[in-house]
Amino acid sequence: MKKRDIQALPTYLILVAPALLIYLFVVAYPIGYSVWLSFTDFNPNKGGQWDWVGTLQYSTMFKDPNFWHALKNNLIVVAVSVFGQIPIGFILAYILYRKKVKAVHFFQTFVFLPQFLSTIVIGILWKRLFQADGPISRIIQIVSKDPQAQFELMLYADTVMIPIAFALIWVYTGMYMTIFLANLQKIDDHLIEAAKIDGATESQIFLKVIVPLLAGTILVSSILAIAGSLRGFDLIFSITTQGLQRNNAMVLPIFMYQSAFQNYTNEMRFAYGAAISNIIVVISLILIGISRLVGKKTDY
Amino acid sequence: MEKNTSKHIIGRTVAYIVFISWTLITILPIFWMAYSSFKSNEELTRNIYAFPYELFHNEDDVYEIIAPQLNVTPDYDTETDTRERMIIESTSISPGRRLMVHFLVKEDLPQEILSRDIGDTLTLSELPKQMRREISRKTMLFNYTSAIQRGGLAQKFLNSLIYAGVSTFLINALSLMVAFALSKMQFKKLSLIVGGLIGFGYLLSVNSVIIPLFLMLSKMGLTDTHIGIILVYTAFGLPLAVLLDTQFISGIPGSLVESARIDGASTWRVIVSIIVPMAIPVTVTVSIITALGIWNEFLLVLVLASSEFTKSLPVGVFSFSSLTSTQLGWQLAALMVATAPAMIVYFIFQRRLTEGVVGGAIKG
Repeated sequence: MKKRDIQALPTYLILVAPALLIYLFVVAYPIGYSVWLSFTDFNPNKGGQWDWVGTLQYSTMFKDPNFWHALKNNLIVVAVSVFGQIPIGFILAYILYRKKVKAVHFFQTFVFLPQFLSTIVIGILWKRLFQADGPISRIIQIVSKDPQAQFELMLYADTVMIPIAFALIWVYTGMYMTIFLANLQKIDDHLIEAAKIDGATESQIFLKVIVPLLAGTILVSSILAIAGSLRGFDLIFSITTQGLQRNNAMVLPIFMYQSAFQNYTNEMRFAYGAAISNIIVVISLILIGISRLVGKKTDY
Repeated sequence: MEKNTSKHIIGRTVAYIVFISWTLITILPIFWMAYSSFKSNEELTRNIYAFPYELFHNEDDVYEIIAPQLNVTPDYDTETDTRERMIIESTSISPGRRLMVHFLVKEDLPQEILSRDIGDTLTLSELPKQMRREISRKTMLFNYTSAIQRGGLAQKFLNSLIYAGVSTFLINALSLMVAFALSKMQFKKLSLIVGGLIGFGYLLSVNSVIIPLFLMLSKMGLTDTHIGIILVYTAFGLPLAVLLDTQFISGIPGSLVESARIDGASTWRVIVSIIVPMAIPVTVTVSIITALGIWNEFLLVLVLASSEFTKSLPVGVFSFSSLTSTQLGWQLAALMVATAPAMIVYFIFQRRLTEGVVGGAIKG
């Protein structure tokens, strides 16, 4: 290192230190804490007494049918985002990009809007809209001419994920649309013109020119979608009513929250909750790994 | 391409149908929420789609004179104000439930009304003008005043502002410092480590470490305090802010910094007088994304805040809505209180938000 550099080192450290310290204390340290916690029987009722218990929390979790139920629902949420939000977002962005509609800015503004409203508020709003005597039921009654008709999908374990998937697509598709649109607008127009001169059809241009150029963006979006949907808590928590409905629609973060902060009968509730959080992180890393592999395989 | 005209038209039509219906699915629920928040519960039950009417056309509302009871909470300070009151309750809005109640100062009432007994009725038009106006205004805002008073939303609104404001300020200050160090100072390897560490946080959220955070902050006595909550928000806001700021500051020519240095400016001077003014656009972007994210955040405050003093608006609105599930009008008013500020900020800064989200996603 040059002399001037060494002189500058204290300044560098002063600039970086405050942020780094807060970050290490609030983000990095808790990760280690969480791993440690999950291998103990940490008991909050006895002032935090603890012993190593090996993989007890994890084996309890794998035997818990609620865990598998929450995992299944969570994978549905992941699928909805990767195979729903992203392709729909892409198609919407493409329509805007090829100027198939006017008022691009207007449409973009409104499709993007739900992303910036409180997810809790959106959840409560859709809960009211889907309610048995709510506005959606009223539309069904008018259309079906049956005054007793109700919107029933929220009521049953088999179907509760359908309205939730709808709400998830409604909230998050706008973000992917915006990301794709911004990247589409960076594409050199000459490429498309050249393809047209070579006689490529609209669908050929889309599949052979556009999609390959945006492969990287699709991958990044998938990673964001996977990480986001595995930790998503607010929407499902607020769109369901407490009790049976929320249990039917249970996802891992809600399962974690209930196990750690509401299930007072389990003396090791924090340790158990930590095991669940860690598994959520592990599952997202695995899924992100898979999507990177798929991304490489289909690289053009 | 002329041969494809009909195909073109079909494509265009489909595109319009898709976008118009999507926009409607976004606007209509929000529009319904907005106008229904001015409807009484009775109106909502009668017709869930009709526009508000009852609360606005209240000149002929009939009230019943009721006796003072424990479940009728005065809306004035009984300590300092000891004037005698006549208590009346609406017979059309939540009748018999002691929700729509007014306290009329007896000395302002005409003799004719004073002579009526408990159980008798009066109509609004019989009252003196001043009183009539006030009751009329209260009636229009019935849902809002009820939600704000009963849900304690004013305090929560303030808390949300504090969380979003203070954390956003800290995030900007800290991330500009880090971004300057990473992009304009010659410590490549160190910067790689620092940048990598902070960048990793981009894939994590509060939800992933909420249990250890709760235990750590409990031990330090920081749960249920503003400081504890702001600390966590600040830390989790850093990754995106550092990313966007570094991208931006890298684009500022190094020669500007160098020449200032030659003129004898210290690093602080350079940051304050050159970098910060130039980085205003990215700072605005970071601020809006961060502040909106914190404004809408839920789980952290749900877990950390146990008293009314620290709860934020989303938590307040959520518990208010589970406690008052029969009062749809109140709930919709509470939802409006939480969404209206976010929507205003969104519509003003939509372009900047788009830039920030896109910038964060590319390198994310």
